[in-house]
Amino acid sequence: MSQFNQHTGGFDRHYDEITCLQYLEGLLDRPTARELSAHTDQCTDCRELMHALERESRLLSNALREQEEAVPAHLLAGPVRDKTPWAWVASFGMAAAGVYWLWTSFINPAMAQANEVGFGSTDLLSTLFFQGALWKGWPEMWSLIQGVAVVSLSVIGFFLLRRSLRKFNTIAMVMTALLVALGMPTGASAAEIHRHESHYTLPAGAVVHDDLIVFGDSVEIDGTVDGDLISFGRNLTITGHITGDVISFGALTEISGIVDGSVRSFSNQLMFRGKIGKNLMIFTNQLKTDAQSTIGWGATLFVGGDATLNGRIERGILGFTQRMDLNGFVGGNTDLKSSDSFTIGPQAQSMGKIAYTGSVQPEVSSSAKLASPVETTIEIHKIDWYAGITYWHKLLFWGAGFVFGLVVLLIAPGFFVETVQNVERFGVSLGVGVLTIIATFIVAVAVCFTIVGLGIGIATLLLWFIAMYGSHLFTAAWLGRKLVGKKSFAGVVAGKKSWPVPYKGALIGQFALGLLLLDAIRLIPYVGFCAAVLAQVWGFGALALTIYHRIHPGVRSSIDAAPATA
Amino acid sequence: MNASDQLELAECITRARTGDLEAWGELYREFAGPIFRFCRRSLHTKEDAEDATTEIFMKVHEKLAQYDSTRPFQAWLYKVAANHCWDSLRRRRIRQDLETEGVEEMPLEHPDPSQLNLLLDAQSTKEMRDALKKLPARARMALVLRYYTDMSYDEIAETLGVRRNFVGVVLLRARHQLREALTGQSLQGMNAEQTP
Repeated sequence: MSQFNQHTGGFDRHYDEITCLQYLEGLLDRPTARELSAHTDQCTDCRELMHALERESRLLSNALREQEEAVPAHLLAGPVRDKTPWAWVASFGMAAAGVYWLWTSFINPAMAQANEVGFGSTDLLSTLFFQGALWKGWPEMWSLIQGVAVVSLSVIGFFLLRRSLRKFNTIAMVMTALLVALGMPTGASAAEIHRHESHYTLPAGAVVHDDLIVFGDSVEIDGTVDGDLISFGRNLTITGHITGDVISFGALTEISGIVDGSVRSFSNQLMFRGKIGKNLMIFTNQLKTDAQSTIGWGATLFVGGDATLNGRIERGILGFTQRMDLNGFVGGNTDLKSSDSFTIGPQAQSMGKIAYTGSVQPEVSSSAKLASPVETTIEIHKIDWYAGITYWHKLLFWGAGFVFGLVVLLIAPGFFVETVQNVERFGVSLGVGVLTIIATFIVAVAVCFTIVGLGIGIATLLLWFIAMYGSHLFTAAWLGRKLVGKKSFAGVVAGKKSWPVPYKGALIGQFALGLLLLDAIRLIPYVGFCAAVLAQVWGFGALALTIYHRIHPGVRSSIDAAPATA
Repeated sequence: MNASDQLELAECITRARTGDLEAWGELYREFAGPIFRFCRRSLHTKEDAEDATTEIFMKVHEKLAQYDSTRPFQAWLYKVAANHCWDSLRRRRIRQDLETEGVEEMPLEHPDPSQLNLLLDAQSTKEMRDALKKLPARARMALVLRYYTDMSYDEIAETLGVRRNFVGVVLLRARHQLREALTGQSLQGMNAEQTP
């Protein structure tokens, strides 16, 4: 082991550095060590060298083991622990508390208000649009919801992108979000508001020189509103004149007067005999326009039941109806999707093209005056299992899902893996999925109705739809991983920036396999539908949990363990 | 670590091996800090160290069943960490030195102890760390394995993929490179002080 080197100092021979080092580390064989020890007793140079090397070792060790830098909090947060019983209890407890809070704060007062005005409904749409709208604190809620939406989007964006963005960009993003929040309109301009009136009538000859907002059982406008009219009530009757727009929520809306602007109505039934200067946009169950009625521009119709159009529409129609009866004038193109029937009566006159999609052929009167024949597309909702194209479409569907998932996996691998890991927590993910799917949608739709918050509402809805589409992919990845037989992830992937290379190919393969299996299950009648819904909700919950964990990493900054060998 | 801690750790490992995630969490929290620091010393950036820490624990979780409980857990853990970091460096093609590179050039002459002492006198632990960062990957890794994890020469040889006999040379060469880096730093510091 030892080597000798000639040196011109006091001693003729000195031990070389490597031998001295190995002696210090106890790696020399006993005779050599003894020899060296005896030598250093006599040789000052070698003794000093040994001391210097020992010092160097100590300094090195201290430098390496010194805890001068804190361990990042997200690393110390540790793995997601399996606290299933507590997680269940907490989840259900929170859900119950949330439901109670929603009920006492929003739904119950809204229903009481609805009953007060004689309006009650049982379907979700009405509950969302009307009961919520009738809550007396609604106007004050706008700014709060806008704020919450902006902050939520900013926070979600920040936590999703924080590993990619460095300080400056993050600050810029937060500042931009704050500016957007501050720059948003603070609310509607001054308006005349009438609340808690069972019957409100604006008599003929009377003029409101402002926007008019009315809450009531029955609202009758015989006079003039020099501005917009917003009505929440069971019945709205307009025989007077509105110079602006009309937005109405109610059971029955009758317009026989004049509206210079547009009409946007969310009513169970709309009867129209008057004149609308611009557009009609309607979400309703039944629509009827009389022969003397006129719509200056176009009509956008979402009609759950019958739509009967006898009047004039100067421009086009975009319609989604169950049954449509057209017996009036249409100045532009008609694009209609009607599930049950489409009838063109003898008084009908169309100056543009009519494109119709439905399950049955349209009935066209021979007396009708049409610029061109009806372009009909018959849609039959029946899968032809013998057609190759069916499987091609299914394969394309799988491919689209795979590509989407792959993009997420490659852009944010840590996020993807953590979400797949959360899928493992079946109960919690499912519970959270149900809650967040409903809650996010409700909030997003509600924000859309604030008008000023429309952009945020639409953005939130867009994210919601993307999340809805993507959520089943995480379930698929989990399924694939289970199939291949590998155990769950270590659960320490929060905050990861880059992908752990050894697992990359494996997980992509597992994901592809899981997605294929899931899509195959979807083909099974009934069972497939249930499985698809389950996968969607389950994955959505896991996604929500991941986002939640990113926002609340559970900092444990106090842990600062010393090296195990220290 | 005293006997009771060792016993507790052994029990925790046993539970973690049976799939008890609570026990796995305890293990993680106990060792995440030291492993992060190990990665921080071995790799170039903080982000790399963070990523490596998570990846190492993923590996440990999967390999826990293979752990031989008669051996110290820490040593095994550091072995996994060292392999991971070294693989990571090798994959990124930043391992600049090959197994036998520079062995012939090794200065085997007796250095001047007084010069070495003078150099060490002027260094703080921070300066030492700064100098370590400037070393080639293998030199840095060798020093970290020896002086942070207390790995034996055999283990270092296995991790770095060099012959056992070369470990001493690799370590000594790393020390020389460190001294050069420290000297360079000292000279830079002196120049900076002299500059008006």
